[in-house]
Amino acid sequence: MGRGYGGHPKKTAARPCCQSLTRQYIDAMSNTQQGREPAAITSERTPLKARKVSFEWDGTPLHWVPGDPFTTHTINVLHLLLPAGERWFVHVYKQVLPYIHDDRLREDVIGFIGQEAMHSQAHDDVLPHLKKLGLDPTPYTAQVDWLFEKLLGDRTLPPGRARRWWLMERVAIIAAIEHYTAFLGDWVLNADELDRRGADPTMLDLLRWHGAEEVEHRSVAFELFMHVDGSYRRRVRTWATAFTALVFLWQRGSRFFMENDPTLLEGRATFKDLVRSGRQGVLPATGDIIRSVPRYLSRTYHPSQEASTAQAVAYLANSPAATGRTAATTGGS
Amino acid sequence: MPRVRTIVLAAGVALLARRAMRRRISRSPLWPMPALENPVSGTRASRSPSSLRLLVTGRTTPAEGVVELRLEALDTADLPAWTPGAHVDLVLPSGLIRQYSLCGDPADRSTYILATRLIEDGRGGSREVHEQLHEGAEVEVRGPRNRFPLTEAPSYLFVAGGIGITPVLPMLRAAEAAGADWKLLYGGRSRASMPYVEEIGKLAAPERVTIVAEDEAGRPDVAAALADAAEGTAVYCCGPEPLMAAVTEALPAGRTLHLERFTPGAPSGAAGAFEVELRRTGRTVSVPADGTVLAAVRPEVPGVSYSCEQGFCGTCQQRVLEGEIDHRDELLTDSERADSMLICVSRAYGDRLVLDL
Repeated sequence: MGRGYGGHPKKTAARPCCQSLTRQYIDAMSNTQQGREPAAITSERTPLKARKVSFEWDGTPLHWVPGDPFTTHTINVLHLLLPAGERWFVHVYKQVLPYIHDDRLREDVIGFIGQEAMHSQAHDDVLPHLKKLGLDPTPYTAQVDWLFEKLLGDRTLPPGRARRWWLMERVAIIAAIEHYTAFLGDWVLNADELDRRGADPTMLDLLRWHGAEEVEHRSVAFELFMHVDGSYRRRVRTWATAFTALVFLWQRGSRFFMENDPTLLEGRATFKDLVRSGRQGVLPATGDIIRSVPRYLSRTYHPSQEASTAQAVAYLANSPAATGRTAATTGGS
Repeated sequence: MPRVRTIVLAAGVALLARRAMRRRISRSPLWPMPALENPVSGTRASRSPSSLRLLVTGRTTPAEGVVELRLEALDTADLPAWTPGAHVDLVLPSGLIRQYSLCGDPADRSTYILATRLIEDGRGGSREVHEQLHEGAEVEVRGPRNRFPLTEAPSYLFVAGGIGITPVLPMLRAAEAAGADWKLLYGGRSRASMPYVEEIGKLAAPERVTIVAEDEAGRPDVAAALADAAEGTAVYCCGPEPLMAAVTEALPAGRTLHLERFTPGAPSGAAGAFEVELRRTGRTVSVPADGTVLAAVRPEVPGVSYSCEQGFCGTCQQRVLEGEIDHRDELLTDSERADSMLICVSRAYGDRLVLDL
């Protein structure tokens, strides 16, 4: 902070050189303290750009994984959480921009914001379609809206430490959630079983376009957190909050859909179903979910150690939604 | 024995508690969290203009070089309602998107009518309509939206030039039906090239309407018509750029002016350049014809948020306090457009905007 914002154009022109010095300094530090600091794999980094996508939902059936309502609805929970959740990411990150003193990271965050805004819009457009199919998601989404707009929203706090604390807490929560979105993104890019079962191609493209962008920008939220705060205690604390919340929201969401599905007489969602679908490969395997927990808590964790940017970029180059219209780019500065 | 009783009692209480909780969760899926009073998620698509597939069911030529299209829904459902001055986006077969004013009857919910003049050296939109949209063709329509709404006023003066009559025509009908005090000044190259002259003649008493064909009587005397307009008159003008410039210049004090441009991308100010005042920062920056508002604002407000820079992600939305906005995005809804803009693509119609930044 306090690096002459609101300043003059001349000053900003001189800034990049000292920024790159800071960057080198940070890189050097992480080299000398290997084993304690997050180890980034630099080859996994890619410039980020928001892609303009469009999906046509009219042809997508209610059970878009044929004959498997549980799997369909468990994945559908994404459409309940992401519109509000990713809108909140954007809201929080807009506020954190002035705290970033690294031009490369700022460019990444700006690309990240655009991608998240598009994810939120794309998932939001699925909700009216679900309603049309007789499964009104509003009772659930109205509560998720409250969670992100009110409980996790801006609070009347005195400017200074309190307000900064709440901002940093939310930045850390986002980093923890992004660990799981990257995990899911990597999973869906490799979930060939969904293709074999004849899952709806439009829905698969939405999930894989989204998943691929999550993999592409998986390091941004974590790097931002390390840049503006980086406290290990906060990382553990917010991870616990985020993980608990995700488990709570997901099981309630899955049950909500199963119980309100107009085609099911006694729809239920149980842990056993999750394990079964995981074994079949239509949902992430329970073991993989559990194993992803300690990885985020490792002191040397860096998101670039997981998943493959090359695979994500390759998918995005061929995704019908991302290539259907002119792919838009974020030029940065 | 007392131990058995305790176990039975505890089990009973647990069972009751579980049932009570289940009942609550079935009513409120995320119990005990409350719900947001006005939910946000899932309402975006219904707020933004929806996309319709319509069928061209009629095609006539109301004047030389003008084609009138009649569009109807593929099913029997009502088309979205609209008010005089509204336009729709027509997505042409090539993917070009063009705006056309609706000139039919708003009460007729089964049909949209729009008219377009072939512009020989235009950007290709009108040519495509003239050459490709025949009866039986299907076309995607977005909207309707109204950026040129008819407001309450003691009297009205409508000034139309050529095909600029299209948004005005439903306004005339509405004004006449409401018994309002109105006048029309309608100019064009020649009578044969001016659409709907006959229809207007039937609509109202002759003293309300002045029709001026350039090949007979030269250009319409805009200044005289404006000077005649009583104080408080709402002036509505749609036509070619020089006509609207003449009206803007000759407008006496006390009359409000409403303009509708053919091309939303019409140049602003002298050569497309304008100034932006940042009210909270207390600075004014100038936006060159080939630069964006965002680029001009960034050096003054380094923390300003943006991302895609192409008008689709919505990150750079800013509140506009003063000035007429030339919206060039496809994202914002009408109510958002009223007082905000995406500063990465949208511009100003006048020579000045005031942002809440």
